Amino acid sequence: MGELQSIPWALIAPLFIVQLILMIIALIDLSKIHATNGPKWLWVIVIIFGNLLGSIVYFIAGRKQS
Amino acid sequence: MSQFSVLVQKELRESWRSFKLLWIPLVFILLGVSDPLLNYFMMDILKAVGGMPEGFEMVMPEFTPADILAASTGQFQSVGLIVLITAFVGSVSRERQNGTATLLYVRPISYVSLFLSKWVVAVLVAIVSIVAGYAASTYYTIILYGTVEWDRFFAMVGTYIIWICLVMAITLAMSASFKTVVAATITIILVLVGLIIDSFIGSFWSVSPWKLANFALALLSDYYDKTDFVITLGLSIGLIVLFIIIGIVMSKRNASTTKI
Repeated sequence: MGELQSIPWALIAPLFIVQLILMIIALIDLSKIHATNGPKWLWVIVIIFGNLLGSIVYFIAGRKQS
Repeated sequence: MSQFSVLVQKELRESWRSFKLLWIPLVFILLGVSDPLLNYFMMDILKAVGGMPEGFEMVMPEFTPADILAASTGQFQSVGLIVLITAFVGSVSRERQNGTATLLYVRPISYVSLFLSKWVVAVLVAIVSIVAGYAASTYYTIILYGTVEWDRFFAMVGTYIIWICLVMAITLAMSASFKTVVAATITIILVLVGLIIDSFIGSFWSVSPWKLANFALALLSDYYDKTDFVITLGLSIGLIVLFIIIGIVMSKRNASTTKI
Protein backbone atom coordinates (compact mmCIF):
# COMPACT_ATOMS: atom_id res chain seq x y z
CA MET A 1 0.00 0.00 0.00
CA GLY A 2 2.87 2.33 0.84
CA GLU A 3 4.11 2.07 -2.73
CA LEU A 4 0.81 3.27 -4.13
CA GLN A 5 0.52 6.16 -1.72
CA SER A 6 4.03 7.38 -2.39
CA ILE A 7 3.15 8.09 -6.01
CA PRO A 8 2.36 11.79 -6.41
CA TRP A 9 -1.08 11.32 -7.90
CA ALA A 10 -1.80 15.05 -8.01
CA LEU A 11 0.97 15.38 -10.60
CA ILE A 12 0.22 12.39 -12.77
CA ALA A 13 -3.60 12.33 -12.64
CA PRO A 14 -4.13 15.10 -15.27
CA LEU A 15 -2.04 13.09 -17.75
CA PHE A 16 -4.35 10.09 -17.39
CA ILE A 17 -7.47 12.24 -17.48
CA VAL A 18 -6.45 13.97 -20.73
CA GLN A 19 -5.58 10.63 -22.27
CA LEU A 20 -8.91 9.19 -21.16
CA ILE A 21 -10.80 12.15 -22.66
CA LEU A 22 -8.94 11.70 -25.95
CA MET A 23 -9.83 8.01 -25.97
CA ILE A 24 -13.50 8.73 -25.23
CA ILE A 25 -13.67 11.34 -28.02
CA ALA A 26 -12.15 8.85 -30.44
CA LEU A 27 -14.67 6.19 -29.41
CA ILE A 28 -17.63 8.60 -29.69
CA ASP A 29 -16.42 9.63 -33.14
CA LEU A 30 -16.01 5.98 -34.11
CA SER A 31 -19.56 5.15 -33.06
CA LYS A 32 -20.99 8.09 -35.03
CA ILE A 33 -18.97 7.76 -38.21
CA HIS A 34 -20.49 6.06 -41.22
CA ALA A 35 -17.51 4.05 -42.40
CA THR A 36 -13.84 3.80 -41.54
CA ASN A 37 -10.76 2.72 -43.41
CA GLY A 38 -10.65 -0.91 -42.40
CA PRO A 39 -13.02 -2.74 -40.05
CA LYS A 40 -14.49 -0.80 -37.16
CA TRP A 41 -13.82 -3.41 -34.47
CA LEU A 42 -10.10 -3.17 -35.30
CA TRP A 43 -10.16 0.56 -34.59
CA VAL A 44 -11.87 -0.05 -31.24
CA ILE A 45 -8.96 -2.28 -30.26
CA VAL A 46 -6.39 0.19 -31.59
CA ILE A 47 -7.96 3.10 -29.69
CA ILE A 48 -8.33 1.25 -26.39
CA PHE A 49 -4.96 -0.50 -26.34
CA GLY A 50 -2.92 1.96 -28.35
CA ASN A 51 -3.06 4.59 -25.60
CA LEU A 52 -2.19 8.06 -26.92
CA LEU A 53 -0.86 6.88 -30.26
CA GLY A 54 -3.91 4.73 -30.99
CA SER A 55 -6.31 7.67 -30.80
CA ILE A 56 -4.03 9.90 -32.90
CA VAL A 57 -3.63 7.23 -35.56
CA TYR A 58 -7.39 6.73 -35.64
CA PHE A 59 -8.08 10.44 -36.15
CA ILE A 60 -5.46 10.78 -38.88
CA ALA A 61 -5.80 7.51 -40.77
CA GLY A 62 -9.04 5.90 -39.65
CA ARG A 63 -11.65 8.48 -40.59
CA LYS A 64 -12.94 8.04 -44.09
CA GLN A 65 -13.55 11.52 -45.40
CA SER A 66 -16.25 11.25 -48.01
CA MET B 1 -16.65 40.40 -46.13
CA SER B 2 -19.89 38.67 -45.15
CA GLN B 3 -18.95 35.91 -47.61
CA PHE B 4 -15.67 35.46 -45.76
CA SER B 5 -17.31 35.23 -42.34
CA VAL B 6 -19.84 32.69 -43.62
CA LEU B 7 -17.00 30.58 -45.02
CA VAL B 8 -15.08 30.86 -41.74
CA GLN B 9 -18.16 29.69 -39.86
CA LYS B 10 -18.48 26.76 -42.25
CA GLU B 11 -14.84 25.78 -41.70
CA LEU B 12 -15.18 26.15 -37.94
CA ARG B 13 -18.26 23.94 -37.94
CA GLU B 14 -16.40 21.38 -40.03
CA SER B 15 -13.44 21.29 -37.65
CA TRP B 16 -15.80 21.03 -34.69
CA ARG B 17 -17.85 18.20 -36.17
CA SER B 18 -14.76 16.23 -37.13
CA PHE B 19 -13.52 16.83 -33.53
CA LYS B 20 -10.35 18.55 -34.84
CA LEU B 21 -10.94 21.46 -32.50
CA LEU B 22 -10.95 18.98 -29.63
CA TRP B 23 -8.39 16.28 -30.27
CA ILE B 24 -5.51 18.35 -31.65
CA PRO B 25 -5.31 20.59 -28.53
CA LEU B 26 -5.53 17.46 -26.36
CA VAL B 27 -2.60 15.90 -28.23
CA PHE B 28 -0.57 19.08 -27.73
CA ILE B 29 -1.45 19.13 -24.01
CA LEU B 30 -0.21 15.55 -23.69
CA LEU B 31 2.96 16.40 -25.61
CA GLY B 32 3.54 19.44 -23.43
CA VAL B 33 2.95 17.58 -20.18
CA SER B 34 5.09 14.56 -21.02
CA ASP B 35 8.49 16.25 -21.01
CA PRO B 36 8.47 18.01 -17.63
CA LEU B 37 7.06 14.88 -15.98
CA LEU B 38 9.43 12.48 -17.72
CA ASN B 39 12.51 14.51 -16.83
CA TYR B 40 11.33 14.96 -13.25
CA PHE B 41 10.73 11.26 -12.66
CA MET B 42 13.69 10.04 -14.73
CA MET B 43 15.56 8.83 -11.63
CA ASP B 44 12.54 6.86 -10.36
CA ILE B 45 11.85 5.42 -13.80
CA LEU B 46 15.44 4.19 -14.14
CA LYS B 47 15.25 2.65 -10.66
CA ALA B 48 11.95 0.94 -11.40
CA VAL B 49 13.14 -0.45 -14.72
CA GLY B 50 16.23 -1.79 -12.97
CA GLY B 51 19.21 -3.40 -14.66
CA MET B 52 21.57 -0.83 -13.21
CA PRO B 53 24.86 -2.32 -11.96
CA GLU B 54 25.63 -2.23 -8.25
CA GLY B 55 27.00 1.09 -7.12
CA PHE B 56 26.09 2.73 -10.40
CA GLU B 57 25.75 6.41 -9.91
CA MET B 58 24.43 8.90 -12.30
CA VAL B 59 24.31 12.62 -11.99
CA MET B 60 21.22 14.06 -13.57
CA PRO B 61 21.69 17.47 -15.06
CA GLU B 62 19.95 20.32 -13.33
CA PHE B 63 17.24 21.44 -15.68
CA THR B 64 16.27 25.08 -15.88
CA PRO B 65 12.69 26.00 -16.85
CA ALA B 66 14.02 27.12 -20.25
CA ASP B 67 15.49 23.63 -20.89
CA ILE B 68 12.15 21.99 -20.19
CA LEU B 69 10.29 24.40 -22.46
CA ALA B 70 12.90 23.68 -25.14
CA ALA B 71 12.22 19.95 -24.76
CA SER B 72 8.48 20.52 -25.09
CA THR B 73 9.07 22.67 -28.17
CA GLY B 74 11.09 19.79 -29.61
CA GLN B 75 8.03 17.56 -29.17
CA PHE B 76 5.80 20.12 -30.89
CA GLN B 77 8.33 20.45 -33.70
CA SER B 78 8.27 16.74 -34.51
CA VAL B 79 5.07 14.97 -33.49
CA GLY B 80 3.01 18.15 -33.20
CA LEU B 81 3.86 19.40 -36.68
CA ILE B 82 3.13 16.01 -38.26
CA VAL B 83 -0.27 15.95 -36.55
CA LEU B 84 -1.11 19.50 -37.65
CA ILE B 85 0.07 18.96 -41.23
CA THR B 86 -1.77 15.67 -41.73
CA ALA B 87 -4.92 17.06 -40.13
CA PHE B 88 -5.13 20.04 -42.48
CA VAL B 89 -3.40 18.89 -45.65
CA GLY B 90 -6.66 17.61 -47.09
CA SER B 91 -8.74 20.70 -46.49
CA VAL B 92 -8.63 21.97 -50.09
CA SER B 93 -7.66 18.87 -52.06
CA ARG B 94 -10.04 16.47 -50.35
CA GLU B 95 -13.00 18.72 -51.15
CA ARG B 96 -11.95 18.52 -54.79
CA GLN B 97 -11.45 14.77 -54.69
CA ASN B 98 -14.80 13.82 -53.18
CA GLY B 99 -16.77 16.40 -55.10
CA THR B 100 -18.02 18.64 -52.27
CA ALA B 101 -16.12 21.48 -53.87
CA THR B 102 -18.56 21.56 -56.81
CA LEU B 103 -21.23 22.82 -54.41
CA LEU B 104 -18.97 25.78 -53.65
CA TYR B 105 -17.38 26.43 -57.03
CA VAL B 106 -20.67 26.79 -58.92
CA ARG B 107 -21.46 29.80 -56.76
CA PRO B 108 -19.95 33.23 -57.38
CA ILE B 109 -17.53 33.16 -54.45
CA SER B 110 -14.09 34.69 -54.48
CA TYR B 111 -11.21 32.27 -54.20
CA VAL B 112 -9.45 34.78 -51.95
CA SER B 113 -12.05 34.46 -49.21
CA LEU B 114 -12.39 30.72 -49.83
CA PHE B 115 -8.70 30.08 -49.31
CA LEU B 116 -8.26 32.65 -46.54
CA SER B 117 -11.16 31.17 -44.56
CA LYS B 118 -9.47 27.77 -44.65
CA TRP B 119 -6.13 29.24 -43.60
CA VAL B 120 -7.63 31.33 -40.81
CA VAL B 121 -9.43 28.35 -39.30
CA ALA B 122 -6.37 26.09 -39.63
CA VAL B 123 -4.26 28.73 -37.90
CA LEU B 124 -6.92 29.20 -35.24
CA VAL B 125 -6.97 25.50 -34.39
CA ALA B 126 -3.16 25.45 -34.43
CA ILE B 127 -2.93 28.47 -32.12
CA VAL B 128 -5.44 26.97 -29.67
CA SER B 129 -3.36 23.77 -29.67
CA ILE B 130 -0.02 25.54 -29.23
CA VAL B 131 -1.31 27.75 -26.41
CA ALA B 132 -2.92 24.78 -24.66
CA GLY B 133 0.28 22.75 -25.04
CA TYR B 134 2.53 25.50 -23.75
CA ALA B 135 0.11 26.26 -20.91
CA ALA B 136 0.21 22.64 -19.79
CA SER B 137 3.99 22.45 -20.17
CA THR B 138 4.54 25.72 -18.29
CA TYR B 139 2.16 24.71 -15.52
CA TYR B 140 4.23 21.61 -14.76
CA THR B 141 7.50 23.45 -15.30
CA ILE B 142 6.54 26.06 -12.73
CA ILE B 143 5.43 23.43 -10.21
CA LEU B 144 8.48 21.19 -10.66
CA TYR B 145 11.36 23.42 -11.75
CA GLY B 146 10.67 27.06 -11.04
CA THR B 147 9.09 30.06 -12.63
CA VAL B 148 9.66 31.54 -16.06
CA GLU B 149 9.87 35.20 -16.99
CA TRP B 150 6.44 35.97 -18.33
CA ASP B 151 7.22 38.71 -20.85
CA ARG B 152 9.89 36.51 -22.46
CA PHE B 153 7.60 33.52 -22.35
CA PHE B 154 4.85 35.39 -24.21
CA ALA B 155 7.39 36.67 -26.75
CA MET B 156 8.46 33.06 -27.31
CA VAL B 157 4.90 31.77 -27.77
CA GLY B 158 4.16 34.66 -30.14
CA THR B 159 7.22 33.90 -32.26
CA TYR B 160 6.35 30.22 -32.33
CA ILE B 161 2.82 31.07 -33.46
CA ILE B 162 4.27 32.93 -36.48
CA TRP B 163 6.22 29.76 -37.37
CA ILE B 164 2.99 27.76 -37.09
CA CYS B 165 1.21 30.29 -39.36
CA LEU B 166 3.96 29.68 -41.94
CA VAL B 167 3.61 25.90 -41.66
CA MET B 168 -0.15 26.12 -42.11
CA ALA B 169 0.26 28.46 -45.10
CA ILE B 170 2.64 25.95 -46.75
CA THR B 171 0.27 23.08 -45.94
CA LEU B 172 -2.77 24.75 -47.47
CA ALA B 173 -0.88 26.09 -50.50
CA MET B 174 0.33 22.56 -51.26
CA SER B 175 -3.17 21.22 -50.62
CA ALA B 176 -4.49 23.70 -53.20
CA SER B 177 -1.78 22.76 -55.71
CA PHE B 178 -1.71 18.95 -55.56
CA LYS B 179 -3.67 15.87 -54.56
CA THR B 180 -3.79 15.07 -50.85
CA VAL B 181 -1.08 12.42 -50.79
CA VAL B 182 1.37 14.42 -52.90
CA ALA B 183 0.64 17.55 -50.89
CA ALA B 184 1.28 15.76 -47.59
CA THR B 185 4.58 14.38 -48.86
CA ILE B 186 5.82 17.73 -50.17
CA THR B 187 4.77 19.62 -47.04
CA ILE B 188 6.40 17.14 -44.70
CA ILE B 189 9.60 17.20 -46.78
CA LEU B 190 9.59 21.00 -46.89
CA VAL B 191 8.97 21.46 -43.18
CA LEU B 192 10.43 18.47 -41.34
CA VAL B 193 13.34 17.60 -43.63
CA GLY B 194 14.06 21.32 -43.79
CA LEU B 195 14.23 21.36 -40.00
CA ILE B 196 16.59 18.37 -39.96
CA ILE B 197 18.88 19.89 -42.60
CA ASP B 198 18.83 23.17 -40.74
CA SER B 199 19.84 21.48 -37.51
CA PHE B 200 22.71 19.62 -39.23
CA ILE B 201 24.33 22.30 -41.33
CA GLY B 202 22.36 25.32 -40.21
CA SER B 203 25.38 26.86 -38.53
CA PHE B 204 26.63 28.02 -41.92
CA TRP B 205 23.84 30.55 -42.22
CA SER B 206 22.19 32.63 -39.57
CA VAL B 207 18.91 33.51 -41.23
CA SER B 208 16.34 30.92 -42.33
CA PRO B 209 12.65 30.49 -41.57
CA TRP B 210 13.33 27.03 -40.11
CA LYS B 211 15.35 28.73 -37.38
CA LEU B 212 12.29 30.62 -36.17
CA ALA B 213 11.53 28.09 -33.42
CA ASN B 214 15.16 28.22 -32.25
CA PHE B 215 14.96 31.99 -32.15
CA ALA B 216 11.75 31.69 -30.16
CA LEU B 217 13.56 29.54 -27.58
CA ALA B 218 16.56 31.85 -27.58
CA LEU B 219 14.23 34.64 -26.50
CA LEU B 220 13.91 32.77 -23.19
CA SER B 221 17.62 32.60 -22.55
CA ASP B 222 18.90 35.80 -24.15
CA TYR B 223 21.47 34.28 -26.52
CA TYR B 224 20.32 35.77 -29.72
CA ASP B 225 21.30 38.21 -32.38
CA LYS B 226 18.63 40.82 -32.66
CA THR B 227 19.14 41.72 -36.34
CA ASP B 228 19.13 38.05 -37.39
CA PHE B 229 15.94 37.53 -35.46
CA VAL B 230 14.21 40.51 -37.05
CA ILE B 231 15.33 39.49 -40.56
CA THR B 232 14.09 35.93 -40.00
CA LEU B 233 10.79 37.22 -38.70
CA GLY B 234 10.36 39.49 -41.72
CA LEU B 235 11.35 36.68 -44.10
CA SER B 236 8.84 34.32 -42.50
CA ILE B 237 6.01 36.83 -42.73
CA GLY B 238 6.93 37.45 -46.38
CA LEU B 239 6.84 33.69 -47.01
CA ILE B 240 3.43 33.42 -45.32
CA VAL B 241 2.06 36.05 -47.73
CA LEU B 242 3.78 34.33 -50.69
CA PHE B 243 2.34 30.92 -49.86
CA ILE B 244 -1.14 32.36 -49.34
CA ILE B 245 -0.94 33.97 -52.81
CA ILE B 246 0.29 30.66 -54.30
CA GLY B 247 -2.60 28.89 -52.57
CA ILE B 248 -5.20 31.33 -53.90
CA VAL B 249 -3.85 31.16 -57.47
CA MET B 250 -3.55 27.38 -57.44
CA SER B 251 -7.00 26.79 -55.94
CA LYS B 252 -8.43 28.94 -58.75
CA ARG B 253 -6.43 27.11 -61.40
CA ASN B 254 -7.22 23.63 -60.05
CA ALA B 255 -10.93 24.31 -59.63
CA SER B 256 -11.54 22.52 -62.93
CA THR B 257 -9.99 19.29 -61.61
CA THR B 258 -12.89 18.83 -59.21
CA LYS B 259 -14.61 15.48 -59.47
CA ILE B 260 -18.28 15.83 -60.22
